[in-house]
Amino acid sequence: MIKRVNFTGRRRIPQRHAKIEIPDGKPPTFNAAIDLDGMQMPSKAKVFLEAISVGSTLVRRFDFGTVGAIEVPKDRSLDGFDPDHVLFALKVVDQSERIGRILGAAQNIRPERIGNDEPSESKGILPIVESDELGQQLWDLDFREHFVCLRVNKNIPGLKDRAHWDSTVYSLVYPAVVREVLRKAIEWGAEYDEQSDHWAVLWLRFGRDLHPTKESPPTFAGPSDEDVDGWIEEVVQAFCDRHALKDIYLSRLPKDDGGDV
Amino acid sequence: MNLREFNAAGIEAFRDFLENARQNPATPVPTELLTNDALTTEVQPTVDVEQRRFATRAGAAEYLATLLSSVDSGSAAKNGGLWTWIALFFFDQVCPAKNGRRDVKNDYRYIFEPDNPRHFYRHILFIAWRVITIAPTHNRLFLSGSVSSLDQVTAEVMKRLYLTRIPCIFEVLERLYWDEKRGRARAGIVTRAVVKPGDLIHRLPLRIRQLEMTYDLQSLTADKLIELLGDEFQRWKAPAVAAGS
Repeated sequence: MIKRVNFTGRRRIPQRHAKIEIPDGKPPTFNAAIDLDGMQMPSKAKVFLEAISVGSTLVRRFDFGTVGAIEVPKDRSLDGFDPDHVLFALKVVDQSERIGRILGAAQNIRPERIGNDEPSESKGILPIVESDELGQQLWDLDFREHFVCLRVNKNIPGLKDRAHWDSTVYSLVYPAVVREVLRKAIEWGAEYDEQSDHWAVLWLRFGRDLHPTKESPPTFAGPSDEDVDGWIEEVVQAFCDRHALKDIYLSRLPKDDGGDV
Repeated sequence: MNLREFNAAGIEAFRDFLENARQNPATPVPTELLTNDALTTEVQPTVDVEQRRFATRAGAAEYLATLLSSVDSGSAAKNGGLWTWIALFFFDQVCPAKNGRRDVKNDYRYIFEPDNPRHFYRHILFIAWRVITIAPTHNRLFLSGSVSSLDQVTAEVMKRLYLTRIPCIFEVLERLYWDEKRGRARAGIVTRAVVKPGDLIHRLPLRIRQLEMTYDLQSLTADKLIELLGDEFQRWKAPAVAAGS
Protein backbone atom coordinates (compact mmCIF):
# COMPACT_ATOMS: atom_id res chain seq x y z
CA MET A 1 0.00 0.00 0.00
CA ILE A 2 1.36 3.40 -0.93
CA LYS A 3 1.51 5.71 2.05
CA ARG A 4 0.88 9.39 1.65
CA VAL A 5 2.71 11.98 3.61
CA ASN A 6 0.76 14.37 5.71
CA PHE A 7 2.14 17.80 4.95
CA THR A 8 0.11 19.45 7.71
CA GLY A 9 2.07 22.07 9.53
CA ARG A 10 4.75 22.65 6.93
CA ARG A 11 4.63 26.08 5.46
CA ARG A 12 5.90 27.44 2.23
CA ILE A 13 8.19 30.37 2.87
CA PRO A 14 8.01 32.87 0.02
CA GLN A 15 11.40 33.33 -1.60
CA ARG A 16 11.38 37.05 -0.80
CA HIS A 17 12.22 36.14 2.79
CA ALA A 18 15.75 35.21 1.73
CA LYS A 19 17.69 37.74 -0.31
CA ILE A 20 20.96 36.33 -1.52
CA GLU A 21 23.79 37.67 -3.61
CA ILE A 22 27.14 36.27 -4.64
CA PRO A 23 29.72 39.04 -5.01
CA ASP A 24 32.79 38.67 -7.17
CA GLY A 25 35.62 36.83 -5.48
CA LYS A 26 37.57 33.61 -5.25
CA PRO A 27 36.64 31.39 -3.65
CA PRO A 28 33.07 32.60 -4.02
CA THR A 29 31.07 33.51 -0.94
CA PHE A 30 27.53 34.73 -0.52
CA ASN A 31 25.66 37.36 1.42
CA ALA A 32 22.20 36.59 2.70
CA ALA A 33 19.51 38.55 4.46
CA ILE A 34 16.89 36.31 6.02
CA ASP A 35 13.75 37.82 7.44
CA LEU A 36 11.12 35.51 8.88
CA ASP A 37 8.95 38.21 10.37
CA GLY A 38 5.28 37.42 9.92
CA MET A 39 5.88 33.69 9.30
CA GLN A 40 4.80 32.80 12.84
CA MET A 41 7.41 30.11 13.30
CA PRO A 42 8.55 28.92 16.75
CA SER A 43 11.33 31.16 17.91
CA LYS A 44 13.54 28.21 18.87
CA ALA A 45 13.28 26.47 15.52
CA LYS A 46 16.58 26.20 13.67
CA VAL A 47 17.19 28.10 10.45
CA PHE A 48 19.42 26.61 7.77
CA LEU A 49 20.39 27.83 4.36
CA GLU A 50 21.62 25.14 1.99
CA ALA A 51 23.66 25.83 -1.09
CA ILE A 52 23.14 23.25 -3.81
CA SER A 53 25.46 22.89 -6.76
CA VAL A 54 23.21 22.21 -9.74
CA GLY A 55 24.41 19.15 -11.62
CA SER A 56 26.62 17.78 -8.89
CA THR A 57 26.33 16.06 -5.55
CA LEU A 58 27.74 19.07 -3.73
CA VAL A 59 25.54 20.57 -1.02
CA ARG A 60 26.68 22.79 1.83
CA ARG A 61 24.64 23.76 4.83
CA PHE A 62 24.91 27.03 6.72
CA ASP A 63 23.54 27.47 10.22
CA PHE A 64 21.68 30.76 10.59
CA GLY A 65 20.76 30.28 14.24
CA THR A 66 17.12 30.24 15.23
CA VAL A 67 13.97 31.99 14.12
CA GLY A 68 14.12 34.18 17.19
CA ALA A 69 17.81 34.91 16.89
CA ILE A 70 19.01 34.77 13.31
CA GLU A 71 22.79 34.89 13.07
CA VAL A 72 24.63 35.12 9.82
CA PRO A 73 27.51 32.62 9.93
CA LYS A 74 30.99 33.98 9.44
CA ASP A 75 31.99 31.23 7.05
CA ARG A 76 29.87 31.61 3.93
CA SER A 77 32.38 30.13 1.54
CA LEU A 78 31.11 28.49 -1.60
CA ASP A 79 34.47 26.95 -2.39
CA GLY A 80 33.98 24.30 -5.05
CA PHE A 81 30.76 25.86 -6.34
CA ASP A 82 30.27 27.53 -9.68
CA PRO A 83 28.45 30.79 -8.81
CA ASP A 84 26.35 30.52 -11.96
CA HIS A 85 25.06 27.11 -10.90
CA VAL A 86 24.08 27.56 -7.28
CA LEU A 87 20.59 27.33 -5.86
CA PHE A 88 19.67 27.81 -2.24
CA ALA A 89 17.08 26.27 0.04
CA LEU A 90 15.92 27.92 3.24
CA LYS A 91 14.69 25.52 5.90
CA VAL A 92 13.18 26.08 9.31
CA VAL A 93 13.56 22.87 11.28
CA ASP A 94 11.93 21.73 14.50
CA GLN A 95 14.45 21.06 17.25
CA SER A 96 12.06 20.51 20.11
CA GLU A 97 9.05 18.25 19.53
CA ARG A 98 9.58 16.25 16.35
CA ILE A 99 13.24 16.79 15.77
CA GLY A 100 14.18 17.00 12.14
CA ARG A 101 10.74 17.96 10.95
CA ILE A 102 10.62 20.85 8.48
CA LEU A 103 8.31 23.59 9.68
CA GLY A 104 8.81 25.82 6.70
CA ALA A 105 10.89 25.93 3.54
CA ALA A 106 11.68 27.93 0.46
CA GLN A 107 13.23 25.92 -2.33
CA ASN A 108 15.20 26.71 -5.47
CA ILE A 109 16.15 30.23 -4.46
CA ARG A 110 18.34 31.89 -7.06
CA PRO A 111 20.76 34.61 -6.03
CA GLU A 112 19.36 38.02 -6.85
CA ARG A 113 22.75 39.10 -8.05
CA ILE A 114 25.89 37.25 -9.12
CA GLY A 115 29.02 39.37 -9.43
CA ASN A 116 28.16 42.53 -11.28
CA ASP A 117 25.18 41.04 -13.09
CA GLU A 118 21.87 42.79 -13.05
CA PRO A 119 19.31 41.27 -10.68
CA SER A 120 17.92 38.10 -12.22
CA GLU A 121 14.40 37.94 -13.55
CA SER A 122 11.75 35.28 -13.43
CA LYS A 123 11.85 32.99 -16.47
CA GLY A 124 8.49 31.23 -16.28
CA ILE A 125 8.07 27.50 -16.22
CA LEU A 126 9.60 26.74 -19.62
CA PRO A 127 12.75 28.67 -20.47
CA ILE A 128 13.78 28.38 -24.12
CA VAL A 129 17.47 28.09 -24.85
CA GLU A 130 19.48 27.60 -28.01
CA SER A 131 21.65 24.50 -28.31
CA ASP A 132 24.27 23.43 -30.82
CA GLU A 133 24.09 19.80 -29.67
CA LEU A 134 20.89 18.86 -31.46
CA GLY A 135 22.27 17.74 -34.80
CA GLN A 136 19.29 17.18 -37.08
CA GLN A 137 16.75 17.55 -34.28
CA LEU A 138 14.82 20.81 -34.24
CA TRP A 139 14.14 20.77 -30.53
CA ASP A 140 14.14 18.65 -27.43
CA LEU A 141 13.51 18.97 -23.74
CA ASP A 142 16.37 19.13 -21.27
CA PHE A 143 15.32 17.82 -17.88
CA ARG A 144 17.63 18.87 -15.09
CA GLU A 145 17.20 18.45 -11.41
CA HIS A 146 16.07 22.00 -10.80
CA PHE A 147 14.56 23.05 -14.11
CA VAL A 148 13.32 21.87 -17.43
CA CYS A 149 13.90 23.86 -20.56
CA LEU A 150 13.02 23.69 -24.24
CA ARG A 151 16.18 23.48 -26.30
CA VAL A 152 15.93 24.66 -29.89
CA ASN A 153 18.50 24.11 -32.60
CA LYS A 154 20.94 26.99 -32.62
CA ASN A 155 21.71 26.37 -36.28
CA ILE A 156 18.22 27.37 -37.36
CA PRO A 157 18.25 31.18 -37.41
CA GLY A 158 15.44 32.75 -35.44
CA LEU A 159 13.92 29.52 -34.17
CA LYS A 160 14.16 30.56 -30.54
CA ASP A 161 12.18 33.74 -31.19
CA ARG A 162 9.71 31.94 -33.43
CA ALA A 163 9.01 29.43 -30.67
CA HIS A 164 7.57 32.39 -28.76
CA TRP A 165 5.44 34.09 -31.38
CA ASP A 166 5.11 31.98 -34.55
CA SER A 167 1.95 29.91 -34.31
CA THR A 168 3.11 27.59 -37.09
CA VAL A 169 5.96 26.61 -34.79
CA TYR A 170 4.45 26.61 -31.33
CA SER A 171 1.18 24.95 -32.33
CA LEU A 172 3.20 21.96 -33.52
CA VAL A 173 5.71 21.90 -30.70
CA TYR A 174 3.95 22.82 -27.48
CA PRO A 175 1.33 20.05 -27.26
CA ALA A 176 4.16 17.52 -27.38
CA VAL A 177 6.09 19.58 -24.83
CA VAL A 178 3.17 19.69 -22.42
CA ARG A 179 2.61 15.96 -22.82
CA GLU A 180 6.23 15.03 -22.14
CA VAL A 181 6.85 17.44 -19.28
CA LEU A 182 3.69 16.42 -17.45
CA ARG A 183 4.60 12.76 -17.76
CA LYS A 184 8.06 13.44 -16.35
CA ALA A 185 6.58 15.53 -13.54
CA ILE A 186 4.25 12.71 -12.54
CA GLU A 187 7.01 10.12 -12.75
CA TRP A 188 9.20 12.39 -10.66
CA GLY A 189 6.70 11.98 -7.85
CA ALA A 190 5.59 15.55 -7.39
CA GLU A 191 2.27 16.52 -5.86
CA TYR A 192 0.56 19.52 -7.42
CA ASP A 193 -0.33 20.98 -4.03
CA GLU A 194 3.12 20.63 -2.51
CA GLN A 195 4.56 23.70 -0.89
CA SER A 196 7.35 23.84 -3.41
CA ASP A 197 8.60 25.84 -6.34
CA HIS A 198 10.16 22.83 -8.03
CA TRP A 199 9.54 22.68 -11.77
CA ALA A 200 7.61 19.41 -11.50
CA VAL A 201 5.23 20.89 -8.94
CA LEU A 202 4.72 24.06 -10.97
CA TRP A 203 3.95 22.02 -14.07
CA LEU A 204 1.46 19.81 -12.28
CA ARG A 205 -0.29 22.91 -10.95
CA PHE A 206 -0.33 24.23 -14.49
CA GLY A 207 -1.86 20.95 -15.69
CA ARG A 208 -4.39 20.80 -12.92
CA ASP A 209 -5.53 24.38 -13.62
CA LEU A 210 -5.88 23.57 -17.31
CA HIS A 211 -7.76 20.32 -16.81
CA PRO A 212 -11.41 20.74 -17.89
CA THR A 213 -12.74 19.58 -14.51
CA LYS A 214 -9.72 20.70 -12.48
CA GLU A 215 -8.97 17.08 -11.75
CA SER A 216 -5.82 16.52 -9.72
CA PRO A 217 -3.00 14.66 -11.44
CA PRO A 218 -2.89 10.95 -10.65
CA THR A 219 -0.03 9.43 -8.72
CA PHE A 220 2.50 7.54 -10.78
CA ALA A 221 1.94 3.84 -10.33
CA GLY A 222 4.34 2.51 -12.91
CA PRO A 223 4.71 2.44 -16.67
CA SER A 224 1.61 1.99 -18.82
CA ASP A 225 -0.60 3.67 -16.25
CA GLU A 226 -3.91 4.41 -17.97
CA ASP A 227 -4.92 7.00 -15.37
CA VAL A 228 -1.77 8.98 -16.08
CA ASP A 229 -2.20 8.64 -19.83
CA GLY A 230 -5.81 9.76 -19.64
CA TRP A 231 -5.21 12.75 -17.41
CA ILE A 232 -2.34 14.01 -19.54
CA GLU A 233 -4.34 13.70 -22.75
CA GLU A 234 -7.21 15.66 -21.20
CA VAL A 235 -4.84 18.42 -20.19
CA VAL A 236 -3.17 18.52 -23.61
CA GLN A 237 -6.57 18.69 -25.29
CA ALA A 238 -7.56 21.54 -22.97
CA PHE A 239 -4.31 23.33 -23.74
CA CYS A 240 -4.94 23.06 -27.49
CA ASP A 241 -8.54 24.19 -27.07
CA ARG A 242 -7.65 27.17 -24.93
CA HIS A 243 -5.13 28.42 -27.46
CA ALA A 244 -7.19 27.33 -30.50
CA LEU A 245 -4.05 25.83 -31.96
CA LYS A 246 -5.65 24.23 -35.00
CA ASP A 247 -7.46 27.41 -36.01
CA ILE A 248 -4.49 29.63 -35.44
CA TYR A 249 -2.25 27.24 -37.34
CA LEU A 250 -4.66 27.18 -40.30
CA SER A 251 -4.90 30.96 -40.32
CA ARG A 252 -1.15 31.27 -40.73
CA LEU A 253 -0.75 28.68 -43.47
CA PRO A 254 0.09 30.03 -46.92
CA LYS A 255 -2.83 29.78 -49.35
CA ASP A 256 -2.88 26.71 -51.59
CA ASP A 257 -1.11 27.63 -54.80
CA GLY A 258 -2.06 24.41 -56.57
CA GLY A 259 1.55 23.30 -56.79
CA ASP A 260 2.90 19.79 -56.70
CA VAL A 261 2.10 17.68 -53.71
CA MET B 1 53.24 7.58 -17.78
CA ASN B 2 52.07 10.97 -16.64
CA LEU B 3 48.34 11.55 -16.39
CA ARG B 4 46.99 13.64 -19.25
CA GLU B 5 43.67 14.93 -20.51
CA PHE B 6 42.26 15.08 -24.00
CA ASN B 7 41.38 18.31 -25.75
CA ALA B 8 38.33 18.43 -28.03
CA ALA B 9 40.29 17.00 -30.97
CA GLY B 10 41.57 14.19 -28.77
CA ILE B 11 38.06 13.28 -27.69
CA GLU B 12 36.94 13.20 -31.32
CA ALA B 13 39.90 10.99 -32.28
CA PHE B 14 38.90 8.56 -29.53
CA ARG B 15 35.29 8.73 -30.70
CA ASP B 16 36.41 7.83 -34.22
CA PHE B 17 38.20 4.80 -32.84
CA LEU B 18 35.07 3.68 -30.98
CA GLU B 19 33.04 3.95 -34.15
CA ASN B 20 35.66 2.01 -36.13
CA ALA B 21 35.89 -0.64 -33.45
CA ARG B 22 32.15 -1.22 -33.65
CA GLN B 23 32.48 -1.82 -37.38
CA ASN B 24 35.61 -3.89 -36.96
CA PRO B 25 35.89 -5.33 -33.44
CA ALA B 26 39.51 -6.28 -34.07
CA THR B 27 40.62 -2.64 -34.51
CA PRO B 28 43.74 -2.09 -32.39
CA VAL B 29 43.44 0.33 -29.48
CA PRO B 30 45.09 3.65 -30.47
CA THR B 31 47.29 4.03 -27.41
CA GLU B 32 49.44 6.48 -29.34
CA LEU B 33 46.67 9.06 -28.79
CA LEU B 34 47.48 9.05 -25.09
CA THR B 35 50.76 10.91 -25.53
CA ASN B 36 49.98 12.93 -28.64
CA ASP B 37 50.81 16.52 -27.73
CA ALA B 38 48.36 17.85 -30.29
CA LEU B 39 45.51 15.97 -28.66
CA THR B 40 46.40 15.98 -24.98
CA THR B 41 47.87 18.09 -22.22
CA GLU B 42 49.58 16.91 -19.09
CA VAL B 43 47.69 17.29 -15.82
CA GLN B 44 49.47 19.68 -13.46
CA PRO B 45 50.99 19.00 -11.02
CA THR B 46 52.11 15.82 -12.73
CA VAL B 47 50.65 12.54 -11.60
CA ASP B 48 52.08 9.14 -12.47
CA VAL B 49 49.52 6.64 -13.74
CA GLU B 50 50.22 2.98 -14.30
CA GLN B 51 48.39 -0.03 -15.64
CA ARG B 52 46.60 -2.08 -12.99
CA ARG B 53 44.29 -5.07 -13.08
CA PHE B 54 40.99 -4.35 -11.37
CA ALA B 55 39.14 -7.42 -10.15
CA THR B 56 36.08 -5.32 -9.37
CA ARG B 57 34.88 -1.75 -9.71
CA ALA B 58 36.00 -1.24 -6.12
CA GLY B 59 39.61 -1.79 -7.14
CA ALA B 60 39.30 0.77 -9.89
CA ALA B 61 37.57 3.23 -7.56
CA GLU B 62 40.27 2.98 -4.93
CA TYR B 63 43.07 3.37 -7.45
CA LEU B 64 41.40 6.35 -9.13
CA ALA B 65 40.75 8.02 -5.78
CA THR B 66 44.43 7.77 -4.96
CA LEU B 67 45.47 8.82 -8.45
CA LEU B 68 43.32 11.95 -8.34
CA SER B 69 43.88 12.83 -4.70
CA SER B 70 45.89 15.90 -5.67
CA VAL B 71 43.29 17.08 -8.18
CA ASP B 72 40.38 19.24 -7.01
CA SER B 73 37.42 16.87 -6.98
CA GLY B 74 35.03 19.53 -8.24
CA SER B 75 37.22 20.18 -11.26
CA ALA B 76 37.78 16.48 -11.89
CA ALA B 77 34.03 15.88 -11.86
CA LYS B 78 33.60 18.37 -14.69
CA ASN B 79 36.61 17.37 -16.79
CA GLY B 80 35.45 15.47 -19.85
CA GLY B 81 38.93 15.30 -21.36
CA LEU B 82 40.45 13.79 -18.23
CA TRP B 83 37.98 10.93 -17.84
CA THR B 84 37.95 10.21 -21.52
CA TRP B 85 41.75 9.93 -21.48
CA ILE B 86 41.59 7.63 -18.44
CA ALA B 87 39.05 5.44 -20.22
CA LEU B 88 41.42 5.01 -23.17
CA PHE B 89 44.34 4.34 -20.82
CA PHE B 90 42.39 1.50 -19.17
CA PHE B 91 40.53 0.49 -22.31
CA ASP B 92 41.61 -3.14 -22.07
CA GLN B 93 39.71 -3.32 -18.82
CA VAL B 94 36.64 -1.21 -19.51
CA CYS B 95 36.19 -2.91 -22.88
CA PRO B 96 38.12 -6.19 -22.73
CA ALA B 97 38.89 -8.14 -25.87
CA LYS B 98 37.64 -11.69 -26.16
CA ASN B 99 39.36 -13.70 -28.83
CA GLY B 100 40.81 -10.48 -30.16
CA ARG B 101 37.44 -8.79 -30.58
CA ARG B 102 35.83 -6.08 -28.46
CA ASP B 103 32.18 -5.40 -27.83
CA VAL B 104 32.24 -1.59 -27.83
CA LYS B 105 29.27 -0.09 -26.02
CA ASN B 106 27.80 3.41 -26.36
CA ASP B 107 30.24 6.30 -26.48
CA TYR B 108 29.13 7.62 -23.12
CA ARG B 109 30.58 4.54 -21.41
CA TYR B 110 34.03 5.82 -22.35
CA ILE B 111 33.64 9.48 -23.33
CA PHE B 112 32.68 11.50 -20.29
CA GLU B 113 29.95 14.10 -20.78
CA PRO B 114 29.79 15.94 -17.44
CA ASP B 115 26.97 18.26 -18.45
CA ASN B 116 24.71 15.66 -19.97
CA PRO B 117 22.24 14.52 -17.28
CA ARG B 118 21.41 11.35 -19.24
CA HIS B 119 24.98 10.32 -19.84
CA PHE B 120 27.28 11.55 -17.07
CA TYR B 121 26.56 8.67 -14.70
CA ARG B 122 27.12 6.06 -17.38
CA HIS B 123 30.86 6.62 -17.70
CA ILE B 124 32.18 3.45 -16.10
CA LEU B 125 35.34 4.79 -14.49
CA PHE B 126 34.03 8.20 -13.54
CA ILE B 127 31.08 6.73 -11.70
CA ALA B 128 33.30 4.29 -9.78
CA TRP B 129 35.40 7.25 -8.62
CA ARG B 130 32.32 9.32 -7.87
CA VAL B 131 30.88 6.57 -5.67
CA ILE B 132 33.97 6.16 -3.55
CA THR B 133 34.41 9.93 -3.33
CA ILE B 134 30.97 10.58 -1.88
CA ALA B 135 30.53 7.20 -0.16
CA PRO B 136 33.83 5.92 1.22
CA THR B 137 31.83 3.33 3.17
CA HIS B 138 28.56 1.54 2.53
CA ASN B 139 29.31 1.37 -1.18
CA ARG B 140 29.17 -2.36 -1.87
CA LEU B 141 25.98 -2.08 -3.93
CA PHE B 142 27.85 0.04 -6.43
CA LEU B 143 31.40 -1.24 -6.44
CA SER B 144 31.13 -5.00 -6.39
CA GLY B 145 30.51 -5.38 -10.10
CA SER B 146 32.84 -5.63 -13.05
CA VAL B 147 34.73 -2.61 -14.27
CA SER B 148 33.60 -3.36 -17.82
CA SER B 149 29.89 -2.96 -17.21
CA LEU B 150 27.45 -0.69 -15.45
CA ASP B 151 24.72 -2.34 -13.40
CA GLN B 152 21.24 -0.94 -13.07
CA VAL B 153 21.42 -0.37 -9.32
CA THR B 154 24.36 1.99 -9.75
CA ALA B 155 22.74 3.78 -12.66
CA GLU B 156 19.38 4.23 -10.93
CA VAL B 157 20.92 5.73 -7.81
CA MET B 158 23.79 7.76 -9.20
CA LYS B 159 21.69 9.53 -11.82
CA ARG B 160 19.50 10.96 -9.05
CA LEU B 161 21.57 13.70 -7.50
CA TYR B 162 18.92 14.48 -4.91
CA LEU B 163 19.44 10.98 -3.52
CA THR B 164 23.21 11.13 -3.45
CA ARG B 165 23.15 14.44 -1.57
CA ILE B 166 21.52 12.83 1.48
CA PRO B 167 24.35 12.06 3.91
CA CYS B 168 22.97 8.77 5.23
CA ILE B 169 21.55 7.44 1.97
CA PHE B 170 24.35 5.01 1.17
CA GLU B 171 24.05 3.34 4.55
CA VAL B 172 20.29 3.16 4.09
CA LEU B 173 20.61 1.64 0.64
CA GLU B 174 23.14 -0.94 1.80
CA ARG B 175 21.05 -1.96 4.77
CA LEU B 176 17.93 -2.29 2.66
CA TYR B 177 19.16 -3.76 -0.57
CA TRP B 178 22.50 -5.53 -0.06
CA ASP B 179 22.15 -9.31 0.02
CA GLU B 180 24.86 -10.55 2.36
CA LYS B 181 24.45 -14.18 1.35
CA ARG B 182 24.71 -13.56 -2.36
CA GLY B 183 27.32 -10.84 -2.04
CA ARG B 184 25.32 -8.62 -4.38
CA ALA B 185 22.16 -6.56 -4.60
CA ARG B 186 18.91 -8.22 -3.62
CA ALA B 187 16.94 -9.65 -6.50
CA GLY B 188 13.97 -7.73 -7.82
CA ILE B 189 14.79 -4.25 -6.61
CA VAL B 190 15.29 -2.73 -10.08
CA THR B 191 12.68 -4.57 -12.13
CA ARG B 192 11.47 -1.80 -14.39
CA ALA B 193 8.24 -3.38 -15.59
CA VAL B 194 6.85 -4.18 -12.14
CA VAL B 195 6.35 -1.88 -9.19
CA LYS B 196 7.11 -3.74 -5.98
CA PRO B 197 6.53 -2.32 -2.50
CA GLY B 198 9.73 -0.77 -1.27
CA ASP B 199 11.70 -1.39 -4.45
CA LEU B 200 14.68 0.73 -5.38
CA ILE B 201 13.75 1.74 -8.88
CA HIS B 202 10.19 2.98 -8.36
CA ARG B 203 9.21 3.35 -4.74
CA LEU B 204 12.36 4.58 -3.06
CA PRO B 205 12.76 7.72 -5.22
CA LEU B 206 9.09 8.59 -4.78
CA ARG B 207 9.18 8.05 -1.06
CA ILE B 208 12.32 10.14 -0.63
CA ARG B 209 10.69 12.93 -2.62
CA GLN B 210 7.75 12.82 -0.26
CA LEU B 211 9.87 12.73 2.87
CA GLU B 212 12.12 15.58 1.84
CA MET B 213 9.07 17.82 1.84
CA THR B 214 8.50 17.07 5.50
CA TYR B 215 11.82 16.10 7.04
CA ASP B 216 15.25 17.61 7.09
CA LEU B 217 16.98 14.68 5.41
CA GLN B 218 20.38 16.32 5.78
CA SER B 219 20.28 15.69 9.51
CA LEU B 220 18.65 12.26 9.71
CA THR B 221 20.44 9.09 10.75
CA ALA B 222 20.10 5.93 8.69
CA ASP B 223 18.00 4.35 11.43
CA LYS B 224 15.59 7.26 11.39
CA LEU B 225 15.32 7.42 7.63
CA ILE B 226 14.64 3.69 7.35
CA GLU B 227 11.93 4.07 9.95
CA LEU B 228 10.38 6.98 8.09
CA LEU B 229 10.42 5.16 4.78
CA GLY B 230 7.62 3.02 6.17
CA ASP B 231 6.48 -0.56 6.37
CA GLU B 232 6.80 -1.36 2.69
CA PHE B 233 10.59 -1.00 2.93
CA GLN B 234 11.07 -3.10 6.04
CA ARG B 235 10.77 -6.36 4.07
CA TRP B 236 14.04 -5.60 2.36
CA LYS B 237 15.90 -4.72 5.52
CA ALA B 238 18.82 -6.95 6.48
CA PRO B 239 18.90 -8.52 9.94
CA ALA B 240 20.66 -6.37 12.49
CA VAL B 241 24.27 -7.24 11.69
CA ALA B 242 27.27 -5.12 10.90
CA ALA B 243 26.51 -3.34 7.66
CA GLY B 244 29.82 -1.63 6.95
CA SER B 245 31.52 -1.92 3.66
